[in-house]
Amino acid sequence: VIPQRSHTCPPSWDHRLIVLLSVFILLWVPGHSLASPPPQGPTYQIQVDGLSCPFCTYGIEKKFLELDGVKQVQIDLPSGSALVIMKAGRNLDRETARKTVQAAGFTLRSFQPVERDSTGKQETNRP
Amino acid sequence: MKLRIPKAHRLLRRAFLLTCLLTWQVSAAGAAPLSFNTALPVSEGEFVFREQFIFSGSGHDPGTASRNLQVFSAVSVLGYGLHNKLAVFGALPYRDKSLEITKNGVRQVRSTSGLGDFTVFGRYTVIQIDGPGRTFRVAPLAGVELPTGENDATDALGRLPQMVQAGSGSTNPFGGIVATFQSLDFEVDAQINHKANTSVNGFDAGDVSRLDGSFQYRLWPGSLETPVPGFLYGVLEGNLIHQGRNRNNGIRDPNSGGTTLFLLPGFLFVTSRWILEGGLQVPVIQDLNGTALEKGLIGRFGFRINF
Repeated sequence: VIPQRSHTCPPSWDHRLIVLLSVFILLWVPGHSLASPPPQGPTYQIQVDGLSCPFCTYGIEKKFLELDGVKQVQIDLPSGSALVIMKAGRNLDRETARKTVQAAGFTLRSFQPVERDSTGKQETNRP
Repeated sequence: MKLRIPKAHRLLRRAFLLTCLLTWQVSAAGAAPLSFNTALPVSEGEFVFREQFIFSGSGHDPGTASRNLQVFSAVSVLGYGLHNKLAVFGALPYRDKSLEITKNGVRQVRSTSGLGDFTVFGRYTVIQIDGPGRTFRVAPLAGVELPTGENDATDALGRLPQMVQAGSGSTNPFGGIVATFQSLDFEVDAQINHKANTSVNGFDAGDVSRLDGSFQYRLWPGSLETPVPGFLYGVLEGNLIHQGRNRNNGIRDPNSGGTTLFLLPGFLFVTSRWILEGGLQVPVIQDLNGTALEKGLIGRFGFRINF
């Protein structure tokens, strides 16, 4: 006769398994859903002249992502602008942005740091 | 389809002036034309690759041999941006040619296939005027067609006719200038190009001068919203091509060369990484010398990728 599981495993084991499973889930679930997002550096809004079709945007995006310290690039073709998000503690200066845009084959029109307001939202720092 | 005109040079001159006028009036580059490679956009340190499949047939044969030439080409083009103003390109075609011809009452088929002539050229942007959502560029270009394709292929009947050979056998320099205006709504490209064919084994193909124009209009999306998934362009291109008479051992062949005007309706679907393209090139005017074989329809389909 095969003994029942409840007979071989005392009730305290069930509690231990539940606790272990809970710890495992807490550790295993992707960090971004439970932990706070990784720190993000400054953001810059860049206006690019000459950007006029989707095929052009790839060059801009790739050139900025090749720069050390750039975390993400978002391009808005209709407005001809790019949002460059840096890693924490990293900055981008206007001259580097100008050279990068030029290497992609376009012309830099404007370069503006984007600041966060009191609610955490980002707003462009108008000159 | 066929329309012969007596004054090909006048037509060439008028079309040239009209295209120049249109190009400079808009006075002011991404999508690029289907029927020529010189306007392909490429950023510094980046590559662009185009593969185009071309199906062409001959048109009416004014001679008595009832010639019918069918050509399939797969043309691979790789461009690289050496500098934001200087780009270099290489193009290598694979060709499969078949000629049906009647000789002494017997129908013969002569065919060959293989790599054609490798073309390399450079383009330097001398004028670049960028504005919000638009750009205007002018770039001279120069290059050479190298005799990498086989030029002495034979079959059971002997050496294949020159028009069936995969390669020209000669080193042919060319040069020209290309201009592009592009906005978020449309693009206009124009090119003037001249290729000086040199002689090989006593045969000298006539030089080729061409004037190309391309108009691309965004059909979809109608209004631009972020994110933009891609653009669908309707395309209309014109190619005015004049070839001089061939020379055999210094003697002009009266049945070669002439002027042809093609129109090409087509499409482009453009995303940030790739482009799909296709169109049908139609010879609308042909003013050829003697019994030179007329051109037929040309189908062009292909893709481009950025990497």
